[in-house]
Amino acid sequence: MEQFIKPPVEVRYKEELDMLRFADNGRKPENWVLSPKAVRTFILGGEVMTKDGEETISRKFYGNDALVERAIITLAGSRGLMLVGEPGTAKTMLSELLCAAISGVSTNTVQGTAGTTEDMIKYSWNYALLLSKGPCREALVAAPLLIGMEKGIIARFEEITRTPAEIQDSLISVMSDQILNIPELGDDGLVLSRPGFNIIGTANTRDKGVNEMSGALKRRFNFETVEPVKDVRLEKEIIIREAEDLAKAGHIDASIDTDVAELLAVTYHELREGRTENGTVVQKPNAVMSTAEAVSVYYQTISHAWYLGGDKVSLDVLADNLLGAVCKENKDDLNTLRGYFRTALKEKGGSKGGNIWTQYLNKALLLR
Amino acid sequence: MDAVSQQGTSAKVIPFDLNAPFLLFPVRHHSPVCSYQLIKTIELYQPEAVLIEGPENANELVQVLADERTTLPAAIYYYYKDKKKYISDEGKDYKCYYPFLYSSPEYNALKAAAKMGIPAFFIDLPYSEILINTKENEGLLKGDEQSYADDSRLASGQFYKRLCEKTGIRSFEEFWEKYFEIEGLNKTPEEFVRAMHTYCTLTRSGENEEKLKADATLIREQHMAFNISEAMKVYKKVLVVTGGFHSLGLYELLQSGNIKPVKQHTVPKGCTGCFPAAYSYEAADALHGYASGMSYPYFYDSVFLKVTEQGSPVGVYDEVSLDMLTRCAKECKVKDLPAAISDVTAAHTLMHGLAALRNISGCGIFELFDGVTSCFIKGEKTISTAMPLEILKKLATGDGVGRIGDTAHTPPLVADFESKCEGFKLKYHSAVVQEKDISLFKSERELEMSRFFHRMEQLDTYFAERLKGADLHSGKDKSRVREVWRYRRSPQVDSALIDHTADGFTIEEACRNIFSSRLNRGSKCELAAQTAVDCFLCGIELKDEQQAISDIISSDGDMLSVGKGLILFDMLYNLSRLYEYDSTSPRGYLEMCFDRLIGALNDLADIPDEQAGDCIEILKRLYALVDTLFGEKRDILYAALFELTTAEDIHPAVLGAGVGLLYAFDKKNQRLAEDIMRGYLNGDVEIKAKGAAYLRGLFSASRDIVFGDNDFLRMTDKLIISMPQEEFMEILPNMRLAFSGFTPQEISRTAEAIAAVYGGSADSLLYREAVDEGLFMFGRELDSELSSAFERT
Repeated sequence: MEQFIKPPVEVRYKEELDMLRFADNGRKPENWVLSPKAVRTFILGGEVMTKDGEETISRKFYGNDALVERAIITLAGSRGLMLVGEPGTAKTMLSELLCAAISGVSTNTVQGTAGTTEDMIKYSWNYALLLSKGPCREALVAAPLLIGMEKGIIARFEEITRTPAEIQDSLISVMSDQILNIPELGDDGLVLSRPGFNIIGTANTRDKGVNEMSGALKRRFNFETVEPVKDVRLEKEIIIREAEDLAKAGHIDASIDTDVAELLAVTYHELREGRTENGTVVQKPNAVMSTAEAVSVYYQTISHAWYLGGDKVSLDVLADNLLGAVCKENKDDLNTLRGYFRTALKEKGGSKGGNIWTQYLNKALLLR
Repeated sequence: MDAVSQQGTSAKVIPFDLNAPFLLFPVRHHSPVCSYQLIKTIELYQPEAVLIEGPENANELVQVLADERTTLPAAIYYYYKDKKKYISDEGKDYKCYYPFLYSSPEYNALKAAAKMGIPAFFIDLPYSEILINTKENEGLLKGDEQSYADDSRLASGQFYKRLCEKTGIRSFEEFWEKYFEIEGLNKTPEEFVRAMHTYCTLTRSGENEEKLKADATLIREQHMAFNISEAMKVYKKVLVVTGGFHSLGLYELLQSGNIKPVKQHTVPKGCTGCFPAAYSYEAADALHGYASGMSYPYFYDSVFLKVTEQGSPVGVYDEVSLDMLTRCAKECKVKDLPAAISDVTAAHTLMHGLAALRNISGCGIFELFDGVTSCFIKGEKTISTAMPLEILKKLATGDGVGRIGDTAHTPPLVADFESKCEGFKLKYHSAVVQEKDISLFKSERELEMSRFFHRMEQLDTYFAERLKGADLHSGKDKSRVREVWRYRRSPQVDSALIDHTADGFTIEEACRNIFSSRLNRGSKCELAAQTAVDCFLCGIELKDEQQAISDIISSDGDMLSVGKGLILFDMLYNLSRLYEYDSTSPRGYLEMCFDRLIGALNDLADIPDEQAGDCIEILKRLYALVDTLFGEKRDILYAALFELTTAEDIHPAVLGAGVGLLYAFDKKNQRLAEDIMRGYLNGDVEIKAKGAAYLRGLFSASRDIVFGDNDFLRMTDKLIISMPQEEFMEILPNMRLAFSGFTPQEISRTAEAIAAVYGGSADSLLYREAVDEGLFMFGRELDSELSSAFERT
């Protein structure tokens, strides 16, 4: 199989999707690849009966199961789904999983930026064809929204709130009437949505918040707030699992050190909550302390060990990578981080597992 | 649920035999499905008697609860006073509620028995005996407030957690609703009872015997089993309704046939008992703090009432949740939150979709919350945007309060409370907070209503809270003629009233006895006067306690306490005619306080800084009294004040006040006042600082001394400009206090006097913007530098 840095979800989990499709006998909304129950199993994991016997479907999203259920049912209805939350809370991953399971494709995506224009969302033209043949269907270049409407699949709109408000509002008529008018095509320019079409938007609450969305657009979405993982043990599991996957994809044959994953999980968790496990209040850094960031720090560290050092993960490098990840925007975060390490050293230095914590925290305190 | 059934095959199975002499029916408190299946079981089994889990000392209240006139929520209130110290050496008082809702299986068992004309009994140990057999911090001795209907054990241990994990469910409550409440309605009584027995047996298997002994479970089951076996001797078919957790224990005991009666302790008369009491949905909520049945009781009560009304459980959950959803949307509208018809429709569709996805045959409370979460919250879910969820929680919990129909069993104080509320037309059947605006002197009825609220406050019922009105305890806003009260009846009101039954049979009598015992125990004049204020506000005259108050006044050695008492009694005397209260007693107490103070005024000389203000007030009040009530004692006060001003180590503020009053008696004393002030001015910085306190006392007692011939103003000026900045900041509070009593007219006169000294106009002093502190300091320094430079040249 051809190698890709990050294959789309439907490629990465093709086997599981095939198994689910084979075993799926639940009721399906029109044009859905899987039934809502099978979509839930795909995302939250479970057992499925295949021709070769019972197989396990891995859990891909951790945290709030009810949120996933609400998201699935929302997409079966007439409203769009808007996933909001802090950066790094797996909103994009959830939207990809939903699209792959419901429509069989997760790449029908608009990436919202300050420079996103209406034609990036709806359609544009192949100007050579436009000049030679005039406005005709052949010269039309469909964008994700039009593709979604025509094929009856879900269109993803990433970081929707980063696009200008007037561009966002171009979605309103499509979501209300399920019609897109292409005036240049005359009578043939009326495109009606096929069943199965819907929109999943994501918006993070750090940059331009959801408050900038118009009330009219908000009314056309059901909102789901994706929260950071609350359970530190779960966070550790996610770091290990994701780092393993990344290492595998990068052909790094290093074993994952669970103690180091725990160090990172605890550090990220406590800094995000602003409180240590003993209840001591610590200052929160300005940077986003997401699980995705923790995974990235850990992957960097094992990459460093694999290519430049021995097999063993170096705590020096881990501390360095952590600094690079946290102190991005604000230099005060270095002091915040050092303050946390001093507190943590007092609390965890002598406790159970004190050795690795003491080494890690002492290295971390040397950071400049 | 399959997992439960599979494990259940290995668990002991308790038979569901409709021909057996006894049938154990397991319940969860306030569970609609248990009530529904119980009623069906009673129809099928046709028992001759119904035995219900509940302390047996409440058996006489069975009729009261089943009475048609009783509206729910209601509860049985149990109390036990541990005078014999069976539980602990502290000999504490204990109380608990056994709440009943329309959806409570126990209530439906009582009603069904009444309908069939068969007896119904409670079979558990008496409340006192349960407590005595419970170890510290276990069972009913866990925490301060306990409910008898504790279901927390159904969700204890690892069993339900594994079930939730296995079934992908968030919590025990959601698990329970899905597999028992909603799906249980579609089962036959036998299927339902088997599922209950299986679940409860597996839950019980996680508990060790030690724990069951510690929380008195085993001894209670022994007693219940004994009562069942005794009933079986009389009746051919006995239906036993108990918490599902007890079924296995009872079954094993009844099968063994070896059931000994439990030996009970002797409890003195009056130390234990029970009353029927009104209860509220809010208190019945399992989320209220102590597990007592289901959460969201109003929602589940509505479900049960709907089943009863339509005679079938088909579609009831969908109907009730839709009704709740529309009410939530309406409430959101009232609170100006976005909740359009389209949101309601979207939420409704989502709820049904979720129910289908979760394999549930109706939309339960969790689907309802999910629907509102998705469709009513626009944007990120935060505390402020999650308001629709709060509204829904409130609606699903309910705000109703029940009522006991048969008043013969109503505790006397509760009956008096209700009759007073009726008399004053207060909405006491609602748990919603109400407001009452009282014009105190508009009519006798209004004054009586205020007194009633004050009396309820004295009984610690938390029934009423005064938002506005005169605060006679601190002497603030005495002239207010209106009071605004916020009141709300909660179970706490009934509980507090029942607790005070020992103090009297009417609210007035209970208050009178409380005041009387407070006075008989007291030794401080100030506290006695505060109690007199309470009596005054409550409209209770204490004729029999006059001697006790007189004794307190004469024996209190703390003159500050006597002085504060004097101020309060003086206020009561002045207000007594307005409040239609007997004025003779306050006058007598006032005179006693006056005489005691004059005789020992020097005791007020050396007092801490924080009491200086009180002391000044007392001296001023003494002076005011010789101008009004006690004119004949003018000379004695003058002499006492003179002696006070000569006392050693006298506080400067008290000295100031004393001298000020002497000046008020005789203007010639101005010289004395000036001499003392000069003494302060000639001292070092520390002494000068005392001058500020002196001025505070002096001006508060006799402000017109400032306007004599400007001497005091000049001295004040000298004091201010002679202080370095840091020391000035220290005396500033005293200086501010010194001028705080000046009227606007006097302030204008002072400004004129200052303008005359420094030039400029009084208006510019009063209304011009103050000079910036930094700029002033700079100017002052510059001035000083220039002066020294000129001096050098």
